[in-house]
Amino acid sequence: MNLTIGKRKSKGGLVIAKRHFVTSVTLPLLLYESLGLFVLGWAVVLMFFDYSPGRLGGPILGLGGSNPFVGLGHFIQMIKGTSVEANLFRISLRNTLIFAVAVLPLNLAITLPLAWLLESIGTRFKALYRTIYFLPVLTSSVGVALIWLSMYDPQAGWINAIIRAVGGSPVAWLSDPRAGFANVSVAMWAVILAYLWQDYGYNMVIFIAALQGIPQELKEAALIDGANPWQAFRKISLPLIRPTMLFVCVMTMLSSFQIFDIIQVMTNGDPNNQTQVLMLDIYKSAFRYQNMGWAAAESFVLFLIVMGVTILQMRLLRTEWEY
Amino acid sequence: MATIAYPAKGTLSRKAIFTAKNLSRFLSYFVLTLGLSFTLLPFIMMILSSFKTNLENLRVPPTFWPENFTLENYRAIFNDPKLPLLKFYFNSSFVSFYTVISTLFTSSLVGYMFAKFEFTGKRLLFGWFLTMMMIPMQITMIPSYLILSKLHLINSLWGLVIFSMVDAFGIFMMRQFCETLPNELLDAGRIDGASEWQIYWRIVLPQLSAPLATLGILGFMGTWNAYLWPMIVLQKIDVRTLPIILTWFNSTHTGQGALVMAATVLIIMPILIVFIFFQRWIVQGFTMTGLKG
Repeated sequence: MNLTIGKRKSKGGLVIAKRHFVTSVTLPLLLYESLGLFVLGWAVVLMFFDYSPGRLGGPILGLGGSNPFVGLGHFIQMIKGTSVEANLFRISLRNTLIFAVAVLPLNLAITLPLAWLLESIGTRFKALYRTIYFLPVLTSSVGVALIWLSMYDPQAGWINAIIRAVGGSPVAWLSDPRAGFANVSVAMWAVILAYLWQDYGYNMVIFIAALQGIPQELKEAALIDGANPWQAFRKISLPLIRPTMLFVCVMTMLSSFQIFDIIQVMTNGDPNNQTQVLMLDIYKSAFRYQNMGWAAAESFVLFLIVMGVTILQMRLLRTEWEY
Repeated sequence: MATIAYPAKGTLSRKAIFTAKNLSRFLSYFVLTLGLSFTLLPFIMMILSSFKTNLENLRVPPTFWPENFTLENYRAIFNDPKLPLLKFYFNSSFVSFYTVISTLFTSSLVGYMFAKFEFTGKRLLFGWFLTMMMIPMQITMIPSYLILSKLHLINSLWGLVIFSMVDAFGIFMMRQFCETLPNELLDAGRIDGASEWQIYWRIVLPQLSAPLATLGILGFMGTWNAYLWPMIVLQKIDVRTLPIILTWFNSTHTGQGALVMAATVLIIMPILIVFIFFQRWIVQGFTMTGLKG
């Protein structure tokens, strides 16, 4: 059978050639994925150890010995521990929740109306507007953070200049631990604003595409039947873009739970840990304090939250699809 | 308002329609332009500040136009021996190039295989693959770092590339596109004696050029702007990528706001220029990723 391959491509030869191809693609892939599985396994094991890469530890991956097994110790600490790390974890968790809960509705309140307006105007300026709204999305978050850092400067910053111009008193946006609004510190509001500025173009573009996908006849039919544009939007467009809404909500939530770049550059968690979020806490624990077992446990908690919120949102928004 | 819906009711109401329509049009433009200014102003501030002197940049209240338009900040950055900017552009380009090339290769190859080949364990493999790729970066970050440090790949640009050579989203996208390729096309190649690799390289890849371009541009943008993982892996200054060098520059030049803004302009502008040239593809790519969900 093998001998005939070169001479004439029999069906057997083709099957063998295909199998060869599949094997030569799958094998490296399997290896790569096994590396992934190994990394994941290591991450899971780390959560149960008090591990620091500086210590020698036991023979397998440096676990054991001077990096002792603590079982669920990290998680118990997180819930009722009084150590500095445990307190910082709880503060970070709270701040992350505040951040995400504030960002999602604000983002939707900006992007949905703007996308609707942009979709309804003529095509002449649409592309230009969309391009400009999208610019911050592609700007490196470090750049965004530095731009806003200069805007928030208590003395020479533009935001305080505007406040002074209308007769208000300037605010030390990123460093005053006492100033706040709606029980959330101004520093937190400041990073939320910077984040929104960077992010709204993305959701706008998604919403515009979804709104464009709605057949024109549906809207026209509603308008002919006497609906005003607002009713047409609420009763026709909004229900039809529900899948997109789901996507946008999940993605926005996911990325705001994992916020890191902008906050790390703008405040690094200050003032008084008021902007310390989970990713920042994980980063500092793992790479500044070399407390990697603890950091692994923290990232697992963040992962659980992210999964939970995603599943919840899918449930909530999916049940309403059946209209 | 109700009369608006009935256009054929005489000239007077037609005029009313006209003005009402104009008014709502005007309001739409007004709101959109307001949002537009809010989006653009920070960029404009950044660019204008970069042409001011550091002293002028500290003035209260701030000046809008630079009083003494100066290129001194840019000159200082280009002449700073501690800041070999070309080197950092090279680092970022290197990482982005190899990451994008390898993800395009793996995405198209694996996507093609999952779309067009039948083999035992295919669904199992795909399922495993799917789950693995759902694991977020913050979970794998710490062990990945430990592996890189065991392999002495900390401070190596290749260390950055290794962990992002396979991209789940890219594979899904390519699999979808490959499913639309007609089997006759592939079989024609087989009848003509092409090997399976030749079919992939000569027949499948050219058909995928449009989605590959989209995927490539998106991947490039993502890698170019990446911050957390490069910051962990690249600890020596001269191997750093642009976003990390920018934070370093900021922390070593406190009080020199105009200089920092000039550095920011230099570092974020290339990507914005790329965007303006390829914007239709990029926006399409982003909406494609969005509407899939």
